[in-house]
Amino acid sequence: MKRFVLLLVALGLLIASAPAQAAMRVDIYGPGQNSVNLALADPLTGPSQPAGNMGRELQKLIQQNLSFLPFMRLTDPKAVLGGTLLPGYEPPNVDFKRFQLAGSDVVVTTVWPSGDSGTKAVQIRAFETNTGGRLFGKEYPRVSSRDLPEVADRFCADLLEVLTGSGAFFRSTLAFVKKSGKLTADVWTVRPTGRDLRKVTNIGGEAMSPAWSPDGRFIVFTLIDKKSHSLGVWDRKSGKTQRVRFPGNVVIGPAFTPDNKVAVALSKGKYPVIYLLNHSFQKERVLEEHNSINVSPTFDSTGTKMAFTSSRMGGPQIFMKDLTSGSTVRVSKNGGYNTEANLSPDGTLVTFSRMTDYGHRIFVQDMVTGLERQVTFGPGSDEQPSFCGDSYFIAFSSSRGGTRGIYLTTRHGGDAKQVPTGGGACYFPRWGMPQ
Amino acid sequence: MKRYALILALVMALAAGFGCAKKTSDEGTLTDDMSPEMRAAIQQITDGRVLFAFDKFDIKPEYKEMLKAKADLMKQFPSVRVRIEGNCDERGTQEYNLALGERRARAAYEYLVMLGVSPSQLEMISYGKENPAVQGTGEAVWSQNRRDDFTVVAH
Repeated sequence: MKRFVLLLVALGLLIASAPAQAAMRVDIYGPGQNSVNLALADPLTGPSQPAGNMGRELQKLIQQNLSFLPFMRLTDPKAVLGGTLLPGYEPPNVDFKRFQLAGSDVVVTTVWPSGDSGTKAVQIRAFETNTGGRLFGKEYPRVSSRDLPEVADRFCADLLEVLTGSGAFFRSTLAFVKKSGKLTADVWTVRPTGRDLRKVTNIGGEAMSPAWSPDGRFIVFTLIDKKSHSLGVWDRKSGKTQRVRFPGNVVIGPAFTPDNKVAVALSKGKYPVIYLLNHSFQKERVLEEHNSINVSPTFDSTGTKMAFTSSRMGGPQIFMKDLTSGSTVRVSKNGGYNTEANLSPDGTLVTFSRMTDYGHRIFVQDMVTGLERQVTFGPGSDEQPSFCGDSYFIAFSSSRGGTRGIYLTTRHGGDAKQVPTGGGACYFPRWGMPQ
Repeated sequence: MKRYALILALVMALAAGFGCAKKTSDEGTLTDDMSPEMRAAIQQITDGRVLFAFDKFDIKPEYKEMLKAKADLMKQFPSVRVRIEGNCDERGTQEYNLALGERRARAAYEYLVMLGVSPSQLEMISYGKENPAVQGTGEAVWSQNRRDDFTVVAH
């Protein structure tokens, strides 16, 4: 696997070093978000030679992946005059005009130069139809049918990075919890596209609030059994889970800081206090203490900003603390019950859930403009929002489908898409990037 | 060797039967070997729940008599150890409810200690909204789930 990755990187660099003429960018962050129309040319094994099963399967996987991008519109092949079977995979054998006429901004070509049976290399290129300039090109060597999902994810991550500046979505893995009974829930992981679904813990008790370490090695979580709370720590390297116990009664909402330390709400006197733990999971110092409930810390990628939930003004509201100056400001301005803050990695947005007459809904507070935006509208109750590393996608849990499931939306809102998690009530999606 | 193993097994069986002066039963269950007074006390300690208003953790006046009765029994039977379990209804969110449930358990804990119960007889846990007493929605259900339960964990 390591060799595969190394070769991939090397070949990617080789192809990328050839001049890419275009610099098309899709602004997915601004208020007038763009969309991009993308056409997939039929996969080839040679000039006008359509690929076989593996080629078609990879094409299908790429299509499935791209359907998760709300700003991406896939061109219907029937709308392309002359069809999508091309005489070649790069200019001058790609007729960009036919794709332009179909409204496509980008066309993707795939070629398996040595055929697509067994273990073979595949080259994928993306061109801007307006200029014919190449946006992206990479060869993925020694691809077997088992590798196809990974190749589809890698290609989509690369393409997304070229178009938007971040490929984090396809490089991420969500941690979440799945309930299997009263006070029983385990931690699972899944790619946002639904692939690689895995149960990673097998514990007696209920896991809540999983959080990835920045290096992707650990998942920490609250673990509740009949008698006590503890901090669960799952190590991806060993596959084992350990329980860390603390004096007092609560262990609530752990989160990693960018330097791989854990912040968590623990008992101290009458109210929970947000502590920073050291690398041995022992209390290092207090991050937030007040004569009120203070839980659910979340950090930006610099570790200097911490958002959290506090009842200091009566009902629960979202606050932001500058950990350098120590100053704290209230983030949520409307509603009487705002909880479950999650700070975007770039530190500019806070997403949180607000209790409404119709259940909880997800909101995004822009810390730069001060504007608030509602990004989910039910039905059911939408909770536990979590920003992807790109500060664009938001995962959340919702009861809109009857059983609680994991869904995706963006900082702009729009139609939510469900992440396939294999049934069962699923909660607390949290993004991570295991290496 | 066989005889030694047999004796060891007999000793262990005897120890299991008679070894504990303070017996820990299955939590919350009454056993046959209890005195009638102890059975009645455990029943009374575990029976009454303290209910709370939404997002509140103050003990309402109507529950103070009930807590006093529990306190008197715990003082009468100092071997009794009770776990106070704080719970919330389904409307709040899970992490905040864990903290709120702890505040509810702590409110009863502090009241019992104020009435003279030894802190060593008490422990607390919050289940947040994970352990509802009644399933369903609507205020009639929610009001029953915003509660403190009392479980005798040792006697």
